Amino acid sequence: MGQEPIKEMAGSSTSSSEACTDPYLRCAFNGAALTALGISHSALLAHSPQGCEYLVNNAFASQECDYMETMTLCTKLCVDEIVHGGEDILARTIREVKDLPISALFVLSACGPEIVGDDIVGVCEALQPEVKFRLVPIESAGFRGSQYDGIDIAMDTILKKLVKDDVEKIPGSVCLVAPHANANPTWPADLAWVKQVLFRMGIKVVATLTHRTPIAEIENIASAETSLLLSHDAGQKAADYLSATFGIEQVCKGIPLPIGMTNTQRWLTALGDRFDILKTAEEIVAEGERMVMATCRRKWPMARFMYRTPAAIVADATVGIPLVRFVTEEMEMTPELVALYTSHRSVWELLEGELKSLGLNPKVVYGTDVYKTRKSLQEVRPRVVFGSTIERHASEGLPVAYVVEVVRMMRQFRMINREYFGYTGILNLLECVQNEWVMGWRSKERRYEAKW
Amino acid sequence: MTLENDFIVFHGNLQQLLDKVESGEMIPKLQASHAPMCKFFTSYYVISGIRHVVPLVHGPTGCPLYMSDFVRTRECCEIRGIPLEPTACTALNESHVIYGGEGKLLEAVKEAYAKYHPDLIVILSCCCSGIIGDDVESIAREAEKLIGCRVLALRSEGFGGDFRSGYEDAFKLIMELMEPPKTKMKGTINILGARWGPTPTEFNWDMDEIERLLGEVGIKINAIIAGGCTVEQLRHAREVELNASWCFDWGQKLGDLMQERFGIPYSRTGQPYGPEATKEWILGVAKPLGMEAEALKVIEREMEEVEPEIESLRQALSGKTAIIEISEFPGPIRALSLARMVAEFGSHPVVINVHPYTIKERMPSIKFLLEEGVNPEIILTKGLFRLGSFRSSKETEDELETIVKKYDNAIFFGNSGRFPPCPVVNLTLMNPAFQPQYGFRGIKNISALVRQALENKDLPRSRLFRGMLYGTRTN
Repeated sequence: MGQEPIKEMAGSSTSSSEACTDPYLRCAFNGAALTALGISHSALLAHSPQGCEYLVNNAFASQECDYMETMTLCTKLCVDEIVHGGEDILARTIREVKDLPISALFVLSACGPEIVGDDIVGVCEALQPEVKFRLVPIESAGFRGSQYDGIDIAMDTILKKLVKDDVEKIPGSVCLVAPHANANPTWPADLAWVKQVLFRMGIKVVATLTHRTPIAEIENIASAETSLLLSHDAGQKAADYLSATFGIEQVCKGIPLPIGMTNTQRWLTALGDRFDILKTAEEIVAEGERMVMATCRRKWPMARFMYRTPAAIVADATVGIPLVRFVTEEMEMTPELVALYTSHRSVWELLEGELKSLGLNPKVVYGTDVYKTRKSLQEVRPRVVFGSTIERHASEGLPVAYVVEVVRMMRQFRMINREYFGYTGILNLLECVQNEWVMGWRSKERRYEAKW
Repeated sequence: MTLENDFIVFHGNLQQLLDKVESGEMIPKLQASHAPMCKFFTSYYVISGIRHVVPLVHGPTGCPLYMSDFVRTRECCEIRGIPLEPTACTALNESHVIYGGEGKLLEAVKEAYAKYHPDLIVILSCCCSGIIGDDVESIAREAEKLIGCRVLALRSEGFGGDFRSGYEDAFKLIMELMEPPKTKMKGTINILGARWGPTPTEFNWDMDEIERLLGEVGIKINAIIAGGCTVEQLRHAREVELNASWCFDWGQKLGDLMQERFGIPYSRTGQPYGPEATKEWILGVAKPLGMEAEALKVIEREMEEVEPEIESLRQALSGKTAIIEISEFPGPIRALSLARMVAEFGSHPVVINVHPYTIKERMPSIKFLLEEGVNPEIILTKGLFRLGSFRSSKETEDELETIVKKYDNAIFFGNSGRFPPCPVVNLTLMNPAFQPQYGFRGIKNISALVRQALENKDLPRSRLFRGMLYGTRTN
């Protein structure tokens, strides 16, 4: 403490000062698929070798698609298509599926076809008259960046291709941007909390970009008066585009997402201010805080004994930045390492603002990879880590008392979606901490044998 | 019996199906259907099966991250308690795609060695690096002079071949680590064809049974290639007396190559499913080592122990039609091995929906099985050839139910994700309660599964799981 934060790197979300990385983030193709799969009554066609289909399947799971309703397809490119081009096979595949009962077919190109120059836009234009659904080509090769860059690429294409500009503004309305760029393993609950709060405030949600979003909502997005970005990792470009093109004002800009008491209060107050419903916002805050405190009074979370315990936070910026305040204020731990997967300038600024306001000076690693995380954990030696399963394994051999798995970089099984945003979100996070705390007390050795 | 239905695409025996596949008559044309893993993935599986190896992926982050998540973290750390090992990546971006990534790759190899101190680094090329023509082999040679471990390069572009070529090229590459023998390890063999390390093979239980039986005979294992073997074991791999495989299909290519190049004999046997195949497997290893007598003693003792189960299986299966569908998981070779086993117990095997694609990719193994006399009845239905969607799975389910109704005394061998109107023997390998399926312990487990299927055939099936898999049915 008492030193300047160490900034290991800054730049784009994917650039690295090192040649060899062990990444946390998937590629742009995965992010684009994650975005496209959030649109209802559509299908996704991966113009790629068959391996990339697995990235689509991963995105499919992250978007919580229903496999009875959503179809993913693949052109399964082989060496012939790389040598001679894969446009014919793309056209043939689109014709094969031309009777699908869908509103749109998103055609995503992977690394191979983009390098050899397959013109997916041209193929889609040529075939559009033959099919009943919209063909939406998204040039999203993996090498274009991280999954967050892919989300931005896909949203840019979708907005430019589908949004109608001849719609009337709906007063007091909002469009929600990039809820899916969130490493909370049950992020749809965060989105549901946002929608429920907006409903109570009387703010109409015009569209969600993207989660179970009908095409009609996307087409109508220009009617929104404001936008609300639900990620610190992706989506700012879409919000800027909506602002520049359709005059859609971004609200809650520069405020950490509503995780923890203070962040939730700031976020709700900003909404109340903008829509002139401050009283309602204050009511929600008061009710929420009362509920959290009353619940804790009844449930009595023992994890409160972690007072000033050195902690590390390893996460995406969306969850990681607001967690800094939650860990410091609600949990009374001391963040001594903050390692974020991304390193956008806006991420940097937001985190530094939070650290300054809290009077914290932890080691900060932007654009971390597994190696940098492990090394930082070895150096800082926190006793508690907020992160993912990877940190659980990467902490092996270190004096880490427990790892709270709050973000998903790999599969984490939870049947019920539980938000981190808002007041129930605080309780959900406390529950995660509490259960790990209890596990930490479990004896690894039996002191005696039972007699029976 | 003859089945003449609109939904049946092929009805004959394995030999006839093979003939149709070989003549190109039975290869699916639909591009959007049936997409197994790409070559990169399967190469990664094999390489990851060597301990303390850094797979250095020369490509963007999507492919290596998927694999390190799926294979290294979930399969190894989560399931098998193996320490987290790195998957390094050069994280190619647009600029590298335009200007080339060789310089970065060389730096990445040096960095990977400095960071992780591995015993081996294997550069795996992806679609990007393959298309732009980065010379990964030269970089590997150059890098090896600069660092303290072996560096190999594997051309594993996703588009560069089917999933099988990834396995085979990786196994071939591993041969470069095998040094000329200094001695002969008496009574010692290698097990070939495993992948997904660093612990043995993808289903430890089957490998444990193989190791147990070999141990009983007095046969030692030098290395399980590549299911958790060390680089040191690979160096000594040519000092064994014999190679054998846990699964003829995956091991045969490497076995043939090691026989051809190094003169090490390879035991050719199918999977040890049921008494006869298990006997064959053990003797196939023991005879060339001159340990037939010891093996026969072990077989006799083990057979005595499982005699009640063998009798029970004979009673349960005799005169029945065994409908076998193991098309998705754990695979067609197991289905055919199972067909052989049920025939041994007096059932008539009908293998349903072995995809022609898998027949094409496993041609040498299928021919071997035919030579061994495994030639069951095969039915392929239309659902198998539909666009690769879960709806096609529902179609196949409906077809299966119809087929089963046409057979008297049917029993289904597959997994519990199917709901035919007959007893269901759940043979998914993802059920750890009844493992292994290989060897004599496998006979005990399969016997238990068959008994449960028959005794509980009238218990209601889960409406929940059925609805989840196939939607809510109105009929």
